[in-house]
Amino acid sequence: MNRALLAQTWRSQRVKLLIVCLALAVWGALFPIIFASFGATFRQIIDSGLIPKELMNFGGGDVFTLSGSIALGSIHPIALVLNSIFAIGFSVAAIAGERQRGTLEVLLARPLSRRTAYVTLLVAGLIFIAFAVAATIVGIVIGSGLAGVVGELAPDRLPLLWLNGVLLFGAIAAIGLAASVSFDRLSPALGITVAFVVVTYFLQVLGTFWPDAKFLQPYSLFHYYDPKAILSGAAGAGDSILLAVVTAIAIGWALVEFPRRDLAAPS
Amino acid sequence: MTAIETLDLTKRYGAERRLAPPGSRSSGSVLALDHLSISVSEGEIFGFLGPNGAGKSTLIRLLLGFLHPTAGSAAVLGLDIVRDSVGIRKRIGYLPGGIALYDSMTGEDLLDYLGALTGRPSVRRAELCERLELSEATLRRLVRDYSRGMRQKVGIIQALQHDPELAILDEPTEGLDPLMQLAFYLLLDDLKAAGRTIFFSSHVLSEVERVCDRVAIVRRGRLVALEDVEALLARRKRNVEMRVAGPPPVLDGVAGVSGLVVAADGRITCQLEGDVGPFLAAIRDTRVVDLTIEPAHLEEAFLELYHDAEEESA
Repeated sequence: MNRALLAQTWRSQRVKLLIVCLALAVWGALFPIIFASFGATFRQIIDSGLIPKELMNFGGGDVFTLSGSIALGSIHPIALVLNSIFAIGFSVAAIAGERQRGTLEVLLARPLSRRTAYVTLLVAGLIFIAFAVAATIVGIVIGSGLAGVVGELAPDRLPLLWLNGVLLFGAIAAIGLAASVSFDRLSPALGITVAFVVVTYFLQVLGTFWPDAKFLQPYSLFHYYDPKAILSGAAGAGDSILLAVVTAIAIGWALVEFPRRDLAAPS
Repeated sequence: MTAIETLDLTKRYGAERRLAPPGSRSSGSVLALDHLSISVSEGEIFGFLGPNGAGKSTLIRLLLGFLHPTAGSAAVLGLDIVRDSVGIRKRIGYLPGGIALYDSMTGEDLLDYLGALTGRPSVRRAELCERLELSEATLRRLVRDYSRGMRQKVGIIQALQHDPELAILDEPTEGLDPLMQLAFYLLLDDLKAAGRTIFFSSHVLSEVERVCDRVAIVRRGRLVALEDVEALLARRKRNVEMRVAGPPPVLDGVAGVSGLVVAADGRITCQLEGDVGPFLAAIRDTRVVDLTIEPAHLEEAFLELYHDAEEESA
């Protein structure tokens, strides 16, 4: 790992990281408050049969329990977009963006191996993701406190919730970075990563709305991100292990592919 | 000691590895460098010449480890380009052609950052900034606000600020005004005097002629010529034009004289190659009213070599 590259990456991203963390903290605080304010009302509406139960089960979450509302907030497209700023945006641009701008050759003309550059940028991305997921959890705790439901949170499960989130978005970042080292231009790397995330997200959400499509959910990375099960103490280690394996495969690919590639003159 | 040595260095782009004529396309495969063997001595300024697509950037990128050779080998400062790429980059400075910089940084932060990545103190930065007239106020501005010339100056400084043993400079005067070009040439003279080696890629022949000790000329990935600039120029023909009063001198058969044209009004033109002694002896008794001998330029040598190589390959 290269300290100068890590420090520069941190400097260039810190303002963006602060904004994303603030937004995620606010977002995280929102769902415990919604649960405390409207949870009972929503349950009455669902019990009346006015709205199909599946519609209130988005992404495995609900608004009838604190853990369900946190799960709903965590898998919501807004949370996904905010986390993707680093999981996709940063990782995809890290190499392919520099290559497209022509600055990668200025960087790699220094005594810095491609693997070192890759590992440094991967570590930077994981740090940003770790902060972003932590900000969401801080928001959840603050929101629970404001709504007076903090007693329903099990503090010992929050680190597991953080780890599961970091592993999910870390896996996406590793896939984005693997795409980034494989292309000379930003658009194909971005296109492949976004397409992968959208398809995998769609498989998970489709299964929650349509019971016949439930068999597709194990093919989605989001299936292994289960805040409700973690907060209710029902989660096993399998989900996190699978996400770690996906991350390791993507890292392995990048570590082999990046040094092997020819970096021809920018056209 | 040798600063750069390549032996049958070959680079073929594309998946296929089958043999194809140099530079030709064969099922997506392009031979960019064809068995190139050159040797650059320590302390010399070595010019690497050729038009666009001749293989200049390919060689530089191979030396820096950006590309992997298809065949052959090369060493920079005694280190193998495949096995010791990081070690090589520790000891060199590189200015890419048409350098791209980080626009959101100030010039000062950028130089600090690149210096930190190099891991060696930027001992020459102050001197380089002064000689290239890059003020502290300019360095405090964002790179995105820089003109083309200022960017090039920052590019030169980042390549040389840590006083590398070998500088690889790709089109270094691109975007510099004539005064700055001159300042840069003087800088190169000083680097050479200090024993540094400069590998200089360019297609501006006049500057190669001005600064380089030796030149390699490449065409379609192949070495066309590798010579001392002085020797190359000495072998070139000079254009002679003179006006005489009275009978014209007898220049037919004089050593080194060719293309002789004698006009009725006393104007004589010819080409002169090599030693000027026989020519001066031949016109000694002639009343010369006007005489112009144009010096040989590298451009003519270059074009002549290219013409010869093209005829050979045809």
